[in-house]
Amino acid sequence: MSKEPQITIRKAGRDEVDFILSDVDMALANSLRRVMIAEIPTLAIDLVEIQVNTSVLADEFIAHRLGLIPLESEDIDQLKFTRECTCEDHCDKCSVTLELRANCETDETMNVYSSHFIITSGNSGLNLGHPVIRDPLKKGILICKLKKHQQLHVKCIAKKGISKEHAKWSPCAAIGFEYDPYNKLKHTDYWYEESVEKEWPRSANADWEEPPIPGEKFDYMAKPDKFYINLETTGVLKPNEVFNKGCSELQRKIANIVFELSKLEKQQDGINLENNGSSAMYANSNNNFDDYRNGSASQYGGQRTAYGGETSYGGSGTQYGGSATQYGGGNTQYQDQGSTGRW
Amino acid sequence: MTKAQFRTLEREKRFQNPSKTESNFPLLYNAVKPHVGSFNALTEGLNGGLLNIAVKDIGIKTIFDSKDQEKIGPNKLKIRVDSVQIAKPSVPITDKLSINRNTYPSECRERLSTYKGRLLLKLAWSINDEEEITEIRDAGQLPIMVSSNRCHLNNLSPNQLVNLREESDELGGYFIVNGIEKLIRMLIVQRRNHPMAIIRPSFANRGASYTPYGVQLRSARDDQSSQTNALHYLNDGNVTFRFSWRKNEYLVPVTLVLKALIETSDKEIFDGIVGSDIDNSFLTDRLELLLRTFKNYNLNSNKESIAYLGQKFRIVFGATPDMTDIDVGNEVLNRIVLVHLNNNNDKFRMLCFMIRKLYSLVAGECSPDNPDSTQHQEILLGGFLYGMILKEKIDEYLQSIKLQIQSDITRGIAVNFNDRKYMTRVFSRINENIGQKLQYFLSTGNLVSQSGLDLQQVSGYTVVAEKINFHRFISHFRMVHRGSFFAELKTTTVRKLLPESWGFLCPVHTPDGSPCGLLNHLAHKCEITTEKVDTSKIPSALFKLGVKPASSAISIAGPNVCCVQLDGKIIGYCSHSQGKIISDTLRYWKVEDENKFGIPLSLEIGYVPPSNHGQYPGLYLFGGHSRMIRPVNYLPLDKKDIVGPFEQVFMNIAVVPSEIENNIHSHVEFSPTNILSILANLTPFSDFNQSPRNMYQCQMGKQTMGTPGVALVHRSDNKLYKLQAGQTPIVKANLYDDYGMDNFPNGTNAVVAVISYTGYDMDDAMIINKSADERGFAYGVVYKVEKVDLSQQRRRNDPITQHFGFGNDDTPPEWREKLDEDGLPYIGVYVEEGDPICCYYDEVLGKTKLKTYHSSEPAFIEEVKLISDDNGNTECQSITIKYRITRQPLIGDKFSSRHGQKGVCSRKWPQIDMPFSETGIQPDVIINPHAFPSRMTIGMFVESLAGKAGALHGIAQDATPWKFNEDDIPADFFGEQLKSAGYNYHGNEPLYSGATGEELRADIYIGVVYYQRLRHMVNDKFQVRSTGPVNSLTMQPVKGRKRHGGIRVGEMERDAFIGHGTSFLLQDRLLNCSDYTHTSVCRDCGGLLTTQVSVARIGGGQSIRCRRCSVRVEGRGHRSDMVEDGDVWEDGTGKRFIGGGNTTTVAIPFVLKYLDSELAAMGISMRYNVEPK
Repeated sequence: MSKEPQITIRKAGRDEVDFILSDVDMALANSLRRVMIAEIPTLAIDLVEIQVNTSVLADEFIAHRLGLIPLESEDIDQLKFTRECTCEDHCDKCSVTLELRANCETDETMNVYSSHFIITSGNSGLNLGHPVIRDPLKKGILICKLKKHQQLHVKCIAKKGISKEHAKWSPCAAIGFEYDPYNKLKHTDYWYEESVEKEWPRSANADWEEPPIPGEKFDYMAKPDKFYINLETTGVLKPNEVFNKGCSELQRKIANIVFELSKLEKQQDGINLENNGSSAMYANSNNNFDDYRNGSASQYGGQRTAYGGETSYGGSGTQYGGSATQYGGGNTQYQDQGSTGRW
Repeated sequence: MTKAQFRTLEREKRFQNPSKTESNFPLLYNAVKPHVGSFNALTEGLNGGLLNIAVKDIGIKTIFDSKDQEKIGPNKLKIRVDSVQIAKPSVPITDKLSINRNTYPSECRERLSTYKGRLLLKLAWSINDEEEITEIRDAGQLPIMVSSNRCHLNNLSPNQLVNLREESDELGGYFIVNGIEKLIRMLIVQRRNHPMAIIRPSFANRGASYTPYGVQLRSARDDQSSQTNALHYLNDGNVTFRFSWRKNEYLVPVTLVLKALIETSDKEIFDGIVGSDIDNSFLTDRLELLLRTFKNYNLNSNKESIAYLGQKFRIVFGATPDMTDIDVGNEVLNRIVLVHLNNNNDKFRMLCFMIRKLYSLVAGECSPDNPDSTQHQEILLGGFLYGMILKEKIDEYLQSIKLQIQSDITRGIAVNFNDRKYMTRVFSRINENIGQKLQYFLSTGNLVSQSGLDLQQVSGYTVVAEKINFHRFISHFRMVHRGSFFAELKTTTVRKLLPESWGFLCPVHTPDGSPCGLLNHLAHKCEITTEKVDTSKIPSALFKLGVKPASSAISIAGPNVCCVQLDGKIIGYCSHSQGKIISDTLRYWKVEDENKFGIPLSLEIGYVPPSNHGQYPGLYLFGGHSRMIRPVNYLPLDKKDIVGPFEQVFMNIAVVPSEIENNIHSHVEFSPTNILSILANLTPFSDFNQSPRNMYQCQMGKQTMGTPGVALVHRSDNKLYKLQAGQTPIVKANLYDDYGMDNFPNGTNAVVAVISYTGYDMDDAMIINKSADERGFAYGVVYKVEKVDLSQQRRRNDPITQHFGFGNDDTPPEWREKLDEDGLPYIGVYVEEGDPICCYYDEVLGKTKLKTYHSSEPAFIEEVKLISDDNGNTECQSITIKYRITRQPLIGDKFSSRHGQKGVCSRKWPQIDMPFSETGIQPDVIINPHAFPSRMTIGMFVESLAGKAGALHGIAQDATPWKFNEDDIPADFFGEQLKSAGYNYHGNEPLYSGATGEELRADIYIGVVYYQRLRHMVNDKFQVRSTGPVNSLTMQPVKGRKRHGGIRVGEMERDAFIGHGTSFLLQDRLLNCSDYTHTSVCRDCGGLLTTQVSVARIGGGQSIRCRRCSVRVEGRGHRSDMVEDGDVWEDGTGKRFIGGGNTTTVAIPFVLKYLDSELAAMGISMRYNVEPK
């Protein structure tokens, strides 16, 4: 079964690609889906400095709306995560600054659109930070409406981030994902009243598969290997970029796991040696317990800060593993207590 | 099937350009019409409105200037109120600045003042029956109902309303009292002018020989005040007439009343009651007795009877000495006996009818009437009640003039009626501020009244019209209460849903819990008449149809003939078969053309056919005020007819056209939804739900965090909830648009999957998609308003010493971070607990003082409003600050669909882990399938189906109940739509696990359901403490969330701990986390209270000694050989002791010490054995 993974692109558009991913494991296909939704770094407005807001909408509400505006993120790789940047707060290397100055001077209600944004930070050569505009009139997204003499002046700092932290960083609108349209694998059970055929419309993807032969023997060893994926983006990245970045992101994550596992192996050897030292640990059993608690608490903190950072994310995994072994150590001691005859 | 529409653009255009002509939602105005109409009736209509009729009814007060009030004095003053006027609200005369003198409701809301106009009384008095002198007196400022004819908003177009800072469809119907919107709620009372047969066991408690039988009639005057008359049957066959006057009950023999009414003979009375039924020995025996017992009074003529009555009631009525007994007697008859009639002959006939009905009831010929049935009920409207109170207050005002003059006489002050100055003095000395009394009534809902206004309760008349959302607001105006008297009743009969209320009271919309069935809501098509229809042409029409006039119908009475009554007046008699024909003819005439025949359309034609022991027969016509009416289609003419609850019982009204049967049905409902209230109509597919679920939805719709209004900047409500991005439901009933609910969206369309996923959706919990939350799903804000009033700290007329702003003294620079130069906070600034919200300079202290923010929840400053006083010429002394508290959905917040399916958010689940469909759709909300089997809210399934189909095709779906039937089921209708969109017919979809990508074993029901966010949020409710404030007496934690107290581990919780054997937890809760204390105890005497700390000495620290076990050492410096110096200890007062050192420290609950002290105070000493010794 060592076939090379294959991709058949059925339809490709500006913001959408429909393809068949075949000869891959389900786990891989789904991981790819998950990564594409949640782990691809993009650019989105993160900090909003409201200079003037006399519109009817509240500051934080406008800030939230601004955050959800898709920003062009093609060159996102040129940008650092703010937390990894050497600058104090944010700089041109880790952020893009957009400004919006809207004053309504006419009697008519003024509509403020995302196209009114101006990028004011230095790295203007990059394809980064321009609001995504898809409507025929090239106006973009309506941010708010202003009446005469109302103003909205905002300075927005867009940062790199991933959707795990906030949905605004997701490059994907939705990812269609289907396998086994004929339900040959019997993963699911179509409920019906009278007839499955009448009540369940056949998926369009069914045309790409062999219909089941009536009376065919059920192959309980069969695994899904053809995934019909419809990737639709928000416009911040091209669909092919999303896919590519998704793949590399996944690779990186797997590499991290491999790396950390090897580190873990080394560590485990050390612990085993310690455990063999044995009897001196008995007196310290209480302390050991505390250690465990403290360890896990800080570990939690570690996880939080490391939310986006892959290395530390993996690192916390090892910590977890480490503490688990520690716990195991405590357990053995508990049994030791039993043997002393106190209970 | 009618097509529902989104009408988004229509709404958008309406909001941009409010209509300059009329509202787009006439139904909304109809909803509050009972309130506004009844208030309008006070000042408009026949005879100058109800108030002017009322002051005529109050009559003239006569005052003499004699020392002895029993005697006629030299001068007589007759004083009366000629007329009443209510001015539109305006600024006070003392205001010299305003150019526009009108006061508008929005100003009152923002300034937290009262929307009131001047009440003017035109007093007229004459001295010694000479020419009348008139004077207009200002009787204070009377709260005015918004949108009434006394309000500036009356009949304004939406555009004008918006310009006056109102909602585009401001309905009015409420008062504004101290900035709070109050309304007088509608009350169910007995139907007026109709004698009701009652069997009530409590009647027998009135005295010896009283029986449970009675006939009661609530007689209403033209000014809408009423007087209840009742007849009681006594064991011996006698009948007494009961009434209450000024909260006292009086019983009078009915024969006396009959004889006093008109010059009559025993024969006439006999004939008037018995009629031609002389063979009925039950009746004749009792009649004989009735007449015979009256012989004892020895009153032979009409005049004698009146005089007798007058003599008895002289004191009660406070009659002046110039009145004869006959005058007083007539006054009694006028004011008490059947006050709805003004002719004594009519009263006599009616009384005879009542007596006959009573005898019929006793004999079992007719059944008792059910006072809990809508048939015998009407609505006491807010405006009418307001007028009744006003009438009484004006009456009291005249009385107080009399009392003032009398006290002047007794004090020896020169009383001279002719002196205008004296009269002015009298007026100035009495409380003329009637408006304030009405304001008190509105703000408290308490009725302060001498007479009790013929009502059964003294409080709870008004409620706050809460603007939590529009559903809540509008249903206040449709709310009808049965009376707080019934709330205390143990029997549940009054709460029952009776078929008689069909179409008038909504069977769904009543709260569960204690007010269930007592607090009802009007069906949305039910109206209440607020004006009397013209019934003047009816009697002649009746005579033309063959009714024998009452005056010529001697010796006709009883249930064997059909008595024809119009608004409680006996018009005449006819046979029963004739009665049926007459009622049918009248109905045909009134529907055909009300002008042609002079029969008003809203006339209620209650034909009660003769029956076997049923309701007392007759033809009862009603055209008065306060009746419930509703439209139905009259089949013979296919035209609208108006029916009332009295007649409806005897009519055959088909619910749907298909069930019409020939020669049975005369009417058909316009729509079966007419029986539901506004809110009940908005529940989609409510006909598929188990009925209590619809009740719950009516409750929860009112608790939703929705859109209270759009003119929120012009309001200063204490607390206001707003959903930031409300949507129009995809699935909505037709009435949703008719009532303009889209102006006030109440929820969000959410993709809902019914699946048990992750376990976090157990037990009515729901999982929200984290990404949906981040994109703003169900995000809301709470607005809170705080008033800062500097003038409250000084007394009236004191000079102003505190000024908003900074003084010249040094203030911490961090104050300026939040506060501007004027001492007020910047708009939009973020404040946390303890942050400055405003500062003022205090001249007296010479310091700048600060006001701080006092809520643990951080907020933004939304608005600051400067508020002036009434005159608007003094320095600003009060401001209101509006805070904006953001409330994004949190774990623990409550949500519900529109089907009584509420749930608490238990988790925000990451998008990637949520299940997804083949198209990549992931649910916003996950609920557990277990929420359905027992609750049977099929409507929610249908909504989900319809919502999904609607979303896929981009159409709105009509969810009006009873549009589908057994042959045409919604599952098929929407199933076809889904199928055509390429989805499963039943709304199911195979979902994939977000975590593994594997197809889930079962297909999942997923669709779009409109979700409401309820206002119960954890942030307002969470209560947690580890340590905190304790009660100083017991050292136990205090209670209450506000005080940062604990939650009590009560008896039952304790039992649970014991039962579980969790003794450590028990000790932890009951002792360690409560009043755990260390205290010292004496080992020797076992005293807890006798130990004390000795004074530390050089060479030795403090020690704890038992005072009881130690011995006093006398004399300072004296040193006994027997005592080692080290053993002597000193208490704080310099006394020296020896011994008592055998103490130790124990851990006890502090209350034990408290108990010991309490016992010690009673002379009981407690001894504790301390071990080990």
